[in-house]
Amino acid sequence: MTAQSETPVDQDRQGLSAAGSATFDIALRMGGLFIAIILVALVIFIIKPNSFNIDVGISVLRAMSSVAIMSLGLLLVIVVGEIDLSFGAMYGLGANALAVMWIVWGVPVYLALPLAILIGAVVGLFNGLLVTGLRIPSFIVTLGSYNLLYGVSLWITRTSTFNPVYPPPGVEIPEAQLDFFTGLTASYGAHPISLEVMWMVVIAVVVGWLLHRSLFGFRLTAIGGNPVAARLARLPVTRYKILAFMLCSALAAIAGILDFSFIQTTQPNIGLSYTFPVFAAVIIGGASLAGGKGTVIGTMAGALLLAELQQGLALLSPGPHVQQLFLGAVTIGAVALDLGLTHLRKRREA
Amino acid sequence: MTSAGAAEGIRIRNVAKRYGSTIALDGIDLDIRPGEVLGIAGPNGAGKSTLMRVIAGEERPDSGTLTFDGRPWFPSLDWQEVAVVHQEPQLFPNLTVAENMLVGREGRRVGRPRLGLDDAGVMQALGIGAVKGRILADCTLATQQRTEIARAVAREARVFLFDEPNSALTDEESDELFREMHKLAGEGRIVLLVTHRLGDLVEHAGRVAVIRDGRVRKVIEKPDLTEEAIAEQLVVGAGGAQVDAPQSSSSPGREVFRVSGWSHGDVFRRVDFSLARGEVVALMGVEGSGARELLRSFAGLERCTGTIALDGTSGVSAFRHTAFVPATRLESLYSNFSVGENLIARLGRPQIAGPTYALRKRRMRELAEQAVRRFLVKTRTITQGVRSLSGGNQQKVAIAQALTLEPKLVLLEEPTRGVDIQSKSEIYRLLRAFALEGNAAIMFCTEVLEIFEAADRVIVVSDGRLSAPLTVRDFPHIEALAAAITRLERHTRLGTGETAAGVAA
Repeated sequence: MTAQSETPVDQDRQGLSAAGSATFDIALRMGGLFIAIILVALVIFIIKPNSFNIDVGISVLRAMSSVAIMSLGLLLVIVVGEIDLSFGAMYGLGANALAVMWIVWGVPVYLALPLAILIGAVVGLFNGLLVTGLRIPSFIVTLGSYNLLYGVSLWITRTSTFNPVYPPPGVEIPEAQLDFFTGLTASYGAHPISLEVMWMVVIAVVVGWLLHRSLFGFRLTAIGGNPVAARLARLPVTRYKILAFMLCSALAAIAGILDFSFIQTTQPNIGLSYTFPVFAAVIIGGASLAGGKGTVIGTMAGALLLAELQQGLALLSPGPHVQQLFLGAVTIGAVALDLGLTHLRKRREA
Repeated sequence: MTSAGAAEGIRIRNVAKRYGSTIALDGIDLDIRPGEVLGIAGPNGAGKSTLMRVIAGEERPDSGTLTFDGRPWFPSLDWQEVAVVHQEPQLFPNLTVAENMLVGREGRRVGRPRLGLDDAGVMQALGIGAVKGRILADCTLATQQRTEIARAVAREARVFLFDEPNSALTDEESDELFREMHKLAGEGRIVLLVTHRLGDLVEHAGRVAVIRDGRVRKVIEKPDLTEEAIAEQLVVGAGGAQVDAPQSSSSPGREVFRVSGWSHGDVFRRVDFSLARGEVVALMGVEGSGARELLRSFAGLERCTGTIALDGTSGVSAFRHTAFVPATRLESLYSNFSVGENLIARLGRPQIAGPTYALRKRRMRELAEQAVRRFLVKTRTITQGVRSLSGGNQQKVAIAQALTLEPKLVLLEEPTRGVDIQSKSEIYRLLRAFALEGNAAIMFCTEVLEIFEAADRVIVVSDGRLSAPLTVRDFPHIEALAAAITRLERHTRLGTGETAAGVAA
């Protein structure tokens, strides 16, 4: 009741985007996530005060960026009520396609890089067309394309790794191109912070605008909330679903390319292990797999919490099993909390 | 059959049921005798389906008593006794017919259950013995319904509720279904038939109970049992509110909408239909008559052939000036959206977004607030969830959502189903005001009352054929309209070409 009775007063300020009772849920959810993030930091600080410094914080931000970028893409697909399992493999294909085009085929990086992102968009188009055109469930389509994409990565790289700084014999990488590529994620400042963090923020702002401030996001949310109503109201359901898949795959390619630029090495199987952390970040961030619900800020907080846990546990080094246990517990716990809160609110309204 | 008490069947006395502030059943008294087919008729929202749920044990009454052969009876405990034959069978489509017979009766054996001799006999008697190995999803609807009946016979159910059983069956299939129904009754079971098709009630029921406003209004028995008599009881004393909404002027405006040669597979063929500015036309038809599909097709939601013209546009661009409102709010509202967001959910550029697709937040709020005022939506704020509104106000939001698009033609499916009386008349006034602005409205109705209160003309659809129109204003009271529609429905169904004028006379 508390949040609802305040809404008439707040109405001018909040417009009509955040539905009254939902605002309360989102506030609780964000508050819970915020408290969790602080708590984890405190625990690490208490156990290992020495290792707690700004550089660790920056490394958390760097570590979260590729997960966050993929999560934002996945968020769009989940909001429209579909599933994408292929982004991890697309991350790998993005990096590997760039590496092969640039290092093996000699395509200048200025051209190869946008091409690699374009490949991502085409993969998304493929996923989206199969889902909307042939009515194959997105779970199955993207499970298939996950394997297809990984297969293509293995094929084009011939299962070898690439590093532009140490190209294969007989290949010359121009200095300017190498500088451009590594410059994408170069670190600056007294406490060096990678540009990759900036890319993450830029992408978050863009996706945030798309989802929360544009007609695209408004309709995406409507379609995810009630696809039948959207079809009967003749909203562009097919087009928007395809666009969501395209953005998801393109963002996965971008995440792969940025990590490639930072780490400077690709392997055929990179990205595959990101599938579950990325899903976890979106779900912890409050998105509903049923569609129609999810925020950029929540997803970012979810990704931050996961990265913090990962880095913190690496510092405390209690063993590799703990990180996996935490990932599982946090994911289930967050959704259980969410369902509990929804249940509470329904009871309060009744 | 040994004593009087043993054969008296089900007695329902003073059964009441409320949902929140809505009274669904207001003291029902009804006797259902074994060996007869009792028909149940009633408008939507009259309490018919609640009564069925009480008898089927899916719902417990708040008060009142039920007795079965003289003993107190609690269907929610004795649900095995009752079988419901639905229009869409509630079975397991992934299993075979035989497996469907067994689900729930596997017993305690570990092995895979097998059909007993009795079961095989039941299936033979119902004519599904030959298809017992087939996956249910691959069977016709008629076979699926028979499987549902066979399941119930096998578990020795004594009460059979047929709930709109033949709305999706062919004529022959429904004849066979009714034969089975009579066979069940003839063996001394209790059989109820719920349907909107008055012809079926007259032909197949011994008595027909008309339910309205949560009570049994009348039980009609032979020889008084005619379609007209049922139709009259369905509406008598309900209306007279025809003057309530301002009717369109006596001379209809210029033609605004026309389809010709409009065909959709087997559902309807070469329909010609036109509509004048300012007109509200009702299409009346039972489920399966094609009226629903016809309405949806005008919004471009079905694949049709033929020509369509609306206000100077034709083909696909004509569809753009229509807006369709489905009957259930599950198909029209976005539960993840607020009231305000729902009101403007169909708008796009330039109404709520600029050339860059950026949402114009202030404009959205203004439009939503305007819509709340214009469509009389009773809501505390526009930011609360749409599910927090009453049913009537949710329906107003659903209709407002379509009308804010400013279509030339609005297409409504049962616009006031499950809506309270006050919201109903407000919705009719809104529709009338919309039509008077130079637009037109077509409603798909199943209730005569709705037609009497809201429409200028009514056209009966039966087996994909359209009758000649009746002018609602020609009928001084609703009983006369109901009788005329019933006659028209029969003639259209039988294909005899009686004119509307002849029927009205």
